[in-house]
Amino acid sequence: MLAPAAAVFAVLFVAPFAFLFVVSFWRVKTFKLRPDFTFDNYADTFTKYLEPLVFTMAIGFAIATLTTALAFAFAYVIRFKAGRHGNALLVVTLVTLFGGYLVKIYAWKTILGTEGILNSALLALGLVREPLTIFIYNPGAVVVTLTHFLLPLAVLPIYGSLRGVRDITLEAARDLGARPARVFLDVVLPQCLPGVTAAFAFCFLIAAGDYVTPRYVGGPYTSMIGNFIEGQFSLKFDWPSGAAMAFTMLGACLACVAVSRALLGLARPR
Amino acid sequence: MAADAKRPDGGRTPLVQLRGLTKSFGPVVAVRPLDLDIYAGDFFALLGPSGCGKTTLLRMIGGFTEPSGGTIAIDGVDVTRLGPEKRPTNMVFQGYGLFPHMTVRQNIGYGLRLARVAVAERAGRVERIMDLVRIAELAERRPDALSGGQAQRVALARALVMEPRVLLLDEPLAALDLKLRKQMQEELRRIHRQIGGTFVFVTHDQGEAMGLANRIAVMEAGSCVQEGGPEEIYRQPKTRFVSSFIGEANVLAGERRAGVVTLGAGAGFAEAGADGTVSVVVRPEDVRLDPGADAEIRLDGRLEDVVFLGPYTRYRVVLDSGEEVVVHAGDAAGQAVGERVAVGWRRDRQRLVQGS
Repeated sequence: MLAPAAAVFAVLFVAPFAFLFVVSFWRVKTFKLRPDFTFDNYADTFTKYLEPLVFTMAIGFAIATLTTALAFAFAYVIRFKAGRHGNALLVVTLVTLFGGYLVKIYAWKTILGTEGILNSALLALGLVREPLTIFIYNPGAVVVTLTHFLLPLAVLPIYGSLRGVRDITLEAARDLGARPARVFLDVVLPQCLPGVTAAFAFCFLIAAGDYVTPRYVGGPYTSMIGNFIEGQFSLKFDWPSGAAMAFTMLGACLACVAVSRALLGLARPR
Repeated sequence: MAADAKRPDGGRTPLVQLRGLTKSFGPVVAVRPLDLDIYAGDFFALLGPSGCGKTTLLRMIGGFTEPSGGTIAIDGVDVTRLGPEKRPTNMVFQGYGLFPHMTVRQNIGYGLRLARVAVAERAGRVERIMDLVRIAELAERRPDALSGGQAQRVALARALVMEPRVLLLDEPLAALDLKLRKQMQEELRRIHRQIGGTFVFVTHDQGEAMGLANRIAVMEAGSCVQEGGPEEIYRQPKTRFVSSFIGEANVLAGERRAGVVTLGAGAGFAEAGADGTVSVVVRPEDVRLDPGADAEIRLDGRLEDVVFLGPYTRYRVVLDSGEEVVVHAGDAAGQAVGERVAVGWRRDRQRLVQGS
């Protein structure tokens, strides 16, 4: 029964992945791949690209934290506070998913740009005399854009896990003497931790792996590791370096997710 | 059951005093202004059909539902506006409400941890309560690995370990199958005897109320229609509703004029009271087939159905008026279905209630 699925998985995922992994130890000579077994590509990654790698992890972490926190607040309101309006809020969340990724990037360009809505509004209100350039072409714009894009994707798993929290367990906690903050920490949070962890990991991996958003709203000095990997493959034809950078980043991402999970796991009851 | 129906404490003040307590959900009145006293040591049942407001009443005592009016005092302290975390009550929820991310031991110890009870004392109390409700071997399990009966016991232990002044139980046995229910009833009685607290529980099952409680409040449409010991409620129902809700009852329509009651089915007797329609309520076990001379009330009818039920035989008689009378008799008298029979009972076995 599993054979067809396994075959598809092997051909479409395992094989290219394995090939790229092997290539990461090869060399390029006169634009041709030469099989080899060298760690130079990995060494180069750490010497030449350590800074963008760290920057990528940091900005990914910031975006994932911000998005998860906002998504949690939103999902919490839908689940516990909005009553029968909760479903309407959920639909609104889902509707924003229909707007594509690039559409959202361009939307933020038109909002944050020098000729954008934000500056027009500030000029019209007389708050500034000439357009501000601080809104766009910096890491902040990348954070805003990616957070906006990822928010509905984070709301869904968190809302799903919050729905699994039964009201009666909250009442039971209050009955046993828990004040609202304790109910939240001891009963709500531990029960929805799987959803929160999933949302965080999801946001982090997508944000850290992105290279389109920084190109359009990040400006010339906000290059994430994805931009450099893309350059290795498309401009320099240096597949081995690109592959080594990609696997280094993959390892770094998994390490970050593992650390986050461990930190969140501290919220479990003693 | 009826033996300990007396008030456990003569004239002392009630532990729980409800005064004019009422609750409306928008235009829907769930509980009409209601007064109720529950005394220390009582095993108190709030009994009524679904939708009668009994669970709302229990939730108001526990602090989960805010009353629309009236007051709740526990131990002489007005707790009407206090949340459940500040009341000396603990609740066993109908769906148990166990914390799925904690083990049984953590579930039971949670309240003590919040109360900052020292670790060693906490462990001892959790251990003792687990022994009391017989779940010691389940200590390290998670709630999703428990059966319904086990989860019930854990929920009970989690509330009892707090040593509440009043233990509230919302349909505590409703989710269990019949055999387990009987067993848990005995357990609850044993635990109540052993720790001697005050238990208040909600049930729609009159058998459960009779089997557990020493005081029963029967509720109908948001009001408490009768409150008393099980025997009193069974023997002297105040309304037709109470008589038919508690046990099986024959209810016959009649009319009273100038102190004489005439039944639609034929018989009549003198009993002082206001003129108007009345109902005569008589229990099946108090009605005789072919009654002897001591039966003041006698009616004629046709035997419609005979069912042998072991301890007694159930006869269904259709009177000439078209009304039905059910008779429970210990010895099969040999009448055949379709025969004309007489039924009768002593006047002191019947109850007269106003209205139809």
